Formats: sequence, C-alpha cells, structure tokens
Amino acid sequence: MVRPPSERREGRFCAVFWDFWETVLTAPDPDRLNDLGKRLDDFQTKHAAGPRRQAPSQSQIGFRFATELFAGVVGGGGIGWGLDWLCGNFGFHTKPVLMIVFFVLGTAAGIRNVMRAAHEINTEIARGRASDDGNGKETGS
Amino acid sequence: MNLNPMEQFAVKPILGLDKPLLQIGGHPIYFTNQALLMVIVAVVSSLFLTLAVKPNRLVPTRSQSMAEMSYEFVAGMIHTATGEDGLKFFPFVFTLFIFVLCCNFFGMVPGSFTVTSQIAVTFALAALVIGLVIVIGFMKHGIGFLKLFVPHAPWYLLILLIPIEVISFLTRPISLSVRLFANMLAGHTMLAVFGGFVVALGSAGGILSALSIAPMLLIVAIMLLELLVAFLQAYVFAILTCIYLNEALHLHDNH
Repeated sequence: MVRPPSERREGRFCAVFWDFWETVLTAPDPDRLNDLGKRLDDFQTKHAAGPRRQAPSQSQIGFRFATELFAGVVGGGGIGWGLDWLCGNFGFHTKPVLMIVFFVLGTAAGIRNVMRAAHEINTEIARGRASDDGNGKETGS
Repeated sequence: MNLNPMEQFAVKPILGLDKPLLQIGGHPIYFTNQALLMVIVAVVSSLFLTLAVKPNRLVPTRSQSMAEMSYEFVAGMIHTATGEDGLKFFPFVFTLFIFVLCCNFFGMVPGSFTVTSQIAVTFALAALVIGLVIVIGFMKHGIGFLKLFVPHAPWYLLILLIPIEVISFLTRPISLSVRLFANMLAGHTMLAVFGGFVVALGSAGGILSALSIAPMLLIVAIMLLELLVAFLQAYVFAILTCIYLNEALHLHDNH
C-alpha cells in the first residue's frame, strides 16, 4: 500500500483517504510514541534548566585567578600612571603620587576580582551538582 | 632552519603585498598574515554556517547538526548566564564565540598563524565587549547604571570602595584579553619548543636520533590538549561576555 508522493497529490479524495490511512489505520507503535514523549519531556526539562556546564579544572581556576589579580594590579598602576601624565600636562606635579595610590587601589580591585571569580565558579559548580542530581542521563552536546 | 619558538608569532606582510595598502595619518597599513587569517576565518565560518543550514532538513546532515549544535550551545549559555532578555544579544555573543573558536582552531593548523595569540586582537575584542556593556547599561538604566559601582556598605567605606569598584570594572578588558592571549601564546610556544627538541635530537645522530620519538609523541598529546584549550578559551570568552552583559542588564540582582 505504498504509493509514491507524486501520485498521492492527484485527487482531493485520494489525499484525504491517504491522510486517514496514515494517521488512523497505520498508527505508530505506542511504545515508540511513549519513548518519544519521554525524550521530549527530558529535553524540555533539560532546556529549562539550561545546558549543564562542567566544572572548570583546577588549572583553569588557577589561571583565571592569576589573570584577574594581574589585570587589577596592572590596570590600577596603568590608570595611575596615565592620570599622573595627564596632571603633568596641566602643570600639576603629582608624578609618583597618583600612580602609587592607584597601584594600591588596583591591587585591592584585583583581589575583589578574584573574590568575584571565586563566587562565580562556586555557583557554577553548585549548579552543575544540582543538575547532576536532577537528571542523570545526558544526551548529546 | 629557524628554531626560535617565538618566530611563529611574528606579524609581517604576506608575500607579494610588501607595499602598504593605504596610509592613515602617516602610518602605513599593511595587509599582514594576521589580517589574512582573520579574513579567512570570517569567510570560512560564515560560509560554513550559512551553507550548513541551507538544506534545512528535519533530520539534519552532519554539517547541519554541527551548526545547530553550536547555535543551541550558545543559546543555552546565554540563557543560563543572563536569562530570557539576554537572548537579544545572541547574534553578538554567537559571532564572538564562533570567531574566537575558529581563530583558535585555524591557529592549530601547522604553518598557519594564531590570531588570538596577539594581545592587540584579543584586547580589541575585549574592549568591544566592555564598550557594549557600558552602552547597554546606560541605555537600559540611564544614570542609574552607575549604581553598579556602589556596593552595600557604610558611607565612610564607600569613599574607598567606589574607586576600587571602578578600577575593577575598568580592568575587565585586561583580564579578559590577557587570559585568551596568554593561553594561546603559552600553548603554541610549548608546541614549538618541543618541535625544536625533535629537530635537535634527530640531527644529533646515533642513539639520540632514536630518542627523538619521545618529544614527538609528547607533541601529539600537547596538540590534543591544545585543541581542548582552544575550545575552552573561546567558551570562557563567551561566557564572561554573558556575565558582564548580565550585570549591565540586571545590575545588583545576583549579589
């Protein structure tokens, strides 16, 4: 009872009959339908929680902290140096003072960055663990 | 043969284009190997992504499913990091992710050039991200965006904390760019150094020549590691973009 699709579209009656045949008489296997439904549910719950992220490795965490601290110190010192240069252009001789002050502030900012990064990584790991408990099976990606 | 491991990072005009393309304010602008690689990356990635989804089949072909997977991956990443309204920035984050990823992967091809190992490139990308964050923050919250720099603390501490927060914000492009740049630089230098070992041992003669297989095997292992790092760094770059966008969109919600 298999007909090529070109023949199917010929008459209106034929098409209606074919749809009826396809949907009712050759109903798909209920097991397969259940399986599909389950997979769709799985997908939706997984999608609602977002994709699972794996916890970063120790070296990645270390590298992240190192760059955050480095950026704070260098950025702070650089901003101070720039401000000193700017002040020098306008005739204020603040030469080393602003750089020293901003270097210290930059170091504090770097430590603040590291704390923030640690906070982010902690929540990420906690989220990964939570979705681990939630659905054990991972499909794809 | 040149065994200098830093040789591979040299930016130079490609062969046949020794003359500057144009002059901007007295500075000659060359078409360098770096520019060439960036053009290749941009063309190849956009061609691949457009052609891969062209057939638009229900059951995807291999290339179509690759394109769809990268779409879903980035969409899910933005969704987790910034929530529903962050998806407006999907095109930006997706472009950034694909560009960095392709630059990293094209750099893994022996003899090519790693664009992301140049601090100028990574800093330009990071500055673009932070610039966008600032613009969006002011567009969404107006002058209230500056509340991002005011933590919950008594007023006498705020005198100290506000400059620290401002510096912390301003140093973000530095940490973002240095992370990508340093990872790529370190990995590729390591590969070149071990490659140098192979050549040096191989030309030493006798039993030492046979030993040159050891660093060769190590290169294979490092190469695999570098492929992982290439993906991971693109991912980290994109996820941090999302996190910064989230702060611009929602200010103090998650603190």
